Amino acid sequence: MYYYIFDIKKCKKRTLVDDIKNYLSTLGISGEFAYPSAAYTTEELVDLGLSKKYNTIVGIGGDEIANKIAAKLCGNSAALGIIPLEASSDLEDLIGAKNWKEAAENLRFRKINEIKIGKTANGSAFLTNLSLDLKIPTEVTIEFKDFLVQAKASALTISNFNPTIEKIGPDYLDLILESVDPHDSAILSKISLFFGGKKNENANMSLFRGRSLRLFTNTQVPLTAGGEIIAKTPQLIETSDDNLRLIVGKKSLYKCQE
Amino acid sequence: MAQEKEFMENNVDTIIGINVTIKGNLYNKGSIQVNGSVDGEVKSDENLIIGETAQIKGPVVARVIEVSGEVKGLVEAIDKLEIQPTGRIYGDINAKTLIIKEGATFVGKSIMPGEAKAMAEAAKPKEETKQEIKAEDSIEQIADKMGFFSKK
Repeated sequence: MYYYIFDIKKCKKRTLVDDIKNYLSTLGISGEFAYPSAAYTTEELVDLGLSKKYNTIVGIGGDEIANKIAAKLCGNSAALGIIPLEASSDLEDLIGAKNWKEAAENLRFRKINEIKIGKTANGSAFLTNLSLDLKIPTEVTIEFKDFLVQAKASALTISNFNPTIEKIGPDYLDLILESVDPHDSAILSKISLFFGGKKNENANMSLFRGRSLRLFTNTQVPLTAGGEIIAKTPQLIETSDDNLRLIVGKKSLYKCQE
Repeated sequence: MAQEKEFMENNVDTIIGINVTIKGNLYNKGSIQVNGSVDGEVKSDENLIIGETAQIKGPVVARVIEVSGEVKGLVEAIDKLEIQPTGRIYGDINAKTLIIKEGATFVGKSIMPGEAKAMAEAAKPKEETKQEIKAEDSIEQIADKMGFFSKK
């Protein structure tokens, strides 16, 4: 019933692999274990698991492996389980488990939440956040259905799930943008601050919601999810048409207005 | 982004930051806060907060509107419009309740929905109570119908 795809790189201690396996056996939810390698990618292992008729594919690792499995399972009747190892706190909040033991227990109860996932036009997916990897403030243009947003961004994140923001609908993405004055040089702003000028950080923050958006930058900038580059600008980013069946615990912070 | 938590607690669906420019029409069921520039229509079913640094060129429509920045265009508040001392409106306003604070700028025409109805009623021509003059009427009756004699 359970097909585990184990990201060994996330195991700091070799004994952790055995500890997790033993704990899953104790809970009565042991299954087949597979490990991504040069021979089999995570995506290929998901296909293999599905071909063997497993109804639960579990990613053991960080955001990277969870996103890859989510992209393959979206629209499939098989459920996704996640046992976090060095995962982001947002992913832990999404599944409602702060450590691998809690996550393993959640798998046993198999509470399923059907959610949309964020997708890029190149087929990559993100369960939580997709960030524009900016080294310096960069001019960005974001095209929504009815309007265009232009700004010099110092940070930009597109969230499918962010525990600090309540989603306005299951198929909406939240875009959080931190902007700087396009006419202000770093030196001038430092001088201004030195002479008592106020830096109003909250006023620099923007929040937009949309089902789909196009992101443009003057030069190509990478988009990262879980620390991994999954796409580059210009890019179309939208929510999936299909649902992902995600196993969550009672402590999951996923909430939606609709 | 460390400030995320703080500004998300404002219970606003859309926030336009200080150095952000929007071109097009922004419509939201929830509340909108504008601190940047908008060239187009801004419409919300809830509250619209126009900050001190905001500049909007286009009509704005919401249930409750608070203006601390600049609007060039029609401002339509279903319930209440409040223009703060730093607020500047260059355009007509249509609001059920209107509050203009000292120091605010308003150049335009103000219409209150209830008053507008009453004005429209008053402007309607009154129904004339002309009476038909018949051939068999006496000269006194004709004069009476034509209003030559005042009724006592």
